[in-house]
Amino acid sequence: MTLTADRPVRTASPRKPQRGGRQGREALLLMLPALVPVLVFSVGPLLYGIFLAFTDARSGRNSVTSFVGLSNFGDLLSDGDFWASFRIGMIWAVSVTVLQFLASLGLALLLNQDLRFRGFARVLAMVPWAMPPVVIGLMWRLVYHPDAGILNSMLGTEIDWLNDFSIALPAVIVVGIWTGMPQTTVVLLAGLQSVPKELYEAVEVDGAGVWRRFWNITLPQLRPVIVAITSLDFVWNINQFGLVYVLTQGGPGGQTRLPMLFAYEEAFRYGFFGYAATLGVAIVIVVLAVLGAYLWRQMREAS
Amino acid sequence: MRMRVVLAAGLLVLAAGCGSESPAAAPDEPVTIKFQSLAWQKESIAANKQLVEEWNKANPKIQVEYIQGSWDNVNDQLVTSFEAGDPPDVIHDDSPALSGFASRGYLLDIKDKIPAELKGDIPQPAWDTVTFGDGKGGQGVYGVPFLQESQVIIGNKKLLAAAGVRIPTPDSPWTWDEFAEISKKLTKGDAYGVAWPMKSPVNKVLNLALNFGGTFFQTDAGGKTTVKVGAEEREVLQRIHDQLHKDRSADPSALGMGSADPLPGFYAGKYAMLPAGVYLRQQVVEQAPDGFEWITLPPLKGVGSEQGAVSQTLSVAADSKYPEQSLKFISFFLNGSNQVKLAKGDWLLPTSVKAAGDPAMTVEENGWNVATASAKNLVVAPFLKVNGFDEWKSKVATPALQQYFANKITLDETAKKLVDEGNKVLERYNR
Repeated sequence: MTLTADRPVRTASPRKPQRGGRQGREALLLMLPALVPVLVFSVGPLLYGIFLAFTDARSGRNSVTSFVGLSNFGDLLSDGDFWASFRIGMIWAVSVTVLQFLASLGLALLLNQDLRFRGFARVLAMVPWAMPPVVIGLMWRLVYHPDAGILNSMLGTEIDWLNDFSIALPAVIVVGIWTGMPQTTVVLLAGLQSVPKELYEAVEVDGAGVWRRFWNITLPQLRPVIVAITSLDFVWNINQFGLVYVLTQGGPGGQTRLPMLFAYEEAFRYGFFGYAATLGVAIVIVVLAVLGAYLWRQMREAS
Repeated sequence: MRMRVVLAAGLLVLAAGCGSESPAAAPDEPVTIKFQSLAWQKESIAANKQLVEEWNKANPKIQVEYIQGSWDNVNDQLVTSFEAGDPPDVIHDDSPALSGFASRGYLLDIKDKIPAELKGDIPQPAWDTVTFGDGKGGQGVYGVPFLQESQVIIGNKKLLAAAGVRIPTPDSPWTWDEFAEISKKLTKGDAYGVAWPMKSPVNKVLNLALNFGGTFFQTDAGGKTTVKVGAEEREVLQRIHDQLHKDRSADPSALGMGSADPLPGFYAGKYAMLPAGVYLRQQVVEQAPDGFEWITLPPLKGVGSEQGAVSQTLSVAADSKYPEQSLKFISFFLNGSNQVKLAKGDWLLPTSVKAAGDPAMTVEENGWNVATASAKNLVVAPFLKVNGFDEWKSKVATPALQQYFANKITLDETAKKLVDEGNKVLERYNR
């Protein structure tokens, strides 16, 4: 334990930043080129989006935008479609994150073993990462195709995977897990490799089996990595758009309408920009709340 | 010194910015207009491109750039390009989409700008499908309607002949009652009389509901539109439901299919009849196995044979810098003889009277005579004028009708959903 505890200390001894005076101004000047794009392309649109959430902005040249205060948020809370979409979003984000984590952990443990062709296998595991979400969506649409898909021909079934009211969401979740596995696997693999060998040697002397080694050494050592990657995965997943848009466009009957798809429809299909912005803000709040609670608990348990 | 260089550079940038803002002013300069087409069938794309080429050769001063769009995402794409202020000049779309665009001021009102010849060649009912409120209390014409779709029935000739049923003609079509009887007669063993592909049930049901006078929407004196599901609206719903679950003459497994999906089963004799849009004939011609004989049957008759019509349209963007040139191009593109080419390419019905009289449109081959005759039943679909119809359709009506046809909810429950939840949706647009 002491070995790993060393490292943060070394990095956590920064030089005291010298604020104020000429040096501060110079530092600001040097930061400016990097700061401008951030302000223009990131902070600006963000603030504009938050502003829109309090207006009744609609698409069209005839529409007059006026400030409506919190009424959008009121509408949102009483909108059954939003809650349905929110529920689907949570099912999606939680199940994809959890299952993805479990599958990736298994894969990472496997790839960490001294196998033959390990390098090749590691490259193979990365393949989904190299594909854009749209291509993944198209590819899986072919897999799930009711007549020409390989899934039905392999199973000998005649299921319309993406159009069945009860199967569509699980089918999409499977694709979500597949898509996100490489990132999670790489991060976990890196975490596994930084677990000091001495620890394993020490417990082996004590006569611990495989399971105990995993439970008492690997997992605790991986903990910071696991917390980081699962929280990142959760944010990525709840904000997922492209993949599901290509796969189902939110169908059938809204069974796979994730919150972001809902917001997209509100904005670009029905033209309610203000309401869509409200949705975006609401999701940001939810993500912050969930992450905050999760990280806080993890931190507390760790310390 | 350095200051001056910076200033000069800044001015240059400004000047360049201004330069690109002002459109080519000189009247003799050739202009380029962008034409976004949604043609997707091979023959149709060929016809579109050929007409554009023809025009470009004859009009060196007004060059048309062909842009390929797609029905799948055209409305999202157009909203973004309208908002960004850089839409195509000539826009191909369909009339349900125009309603929203018109009221938001994206499209040019061409009411007083349509050349007389073009205006006279297209009958008033078709113009009605492109006449909408401008969002400021007025009415305008927001496109030129050119292709229309009617619902017909494609039948397996051998099976119909074997059952010895009367073959209907446009002058004496089947009634819905007759259709139900015949479907039962054609249901034998594994084979069903009919397949209703109901993946997107809303437009189909709403268009057919007019057979019994069902409009689904009503507008009160104050101009407020609400959903209505009364006895007239229930007729077609109930009849299709009966075929599925009472007569068992319609294949329930076809319910989840899109329009073209039942075709393989149709060729195999699994269903004898297939209600479909006239355009589906193209796929039957191309894909049907050799020796497969089929026939186009005219639309059914309820109280009347009226069907709701929507049109494919060409519109001019309000932001277009060359509205006159765009209209000139549209008038050429949609003249009688060109509409014949476009209609043949898309296997749809031309709005042009001249085109409808063309021999190519009235031959018996591939059911063109029956298809063209069905055009007289087309009236403007009531839902076209409903603001918020798109949201009602995708959020309320599609799931409700799918559940009803799958026999998961009763007709009363369906009606209640359509009305209660529907009115809530429309409320947003009435504000």
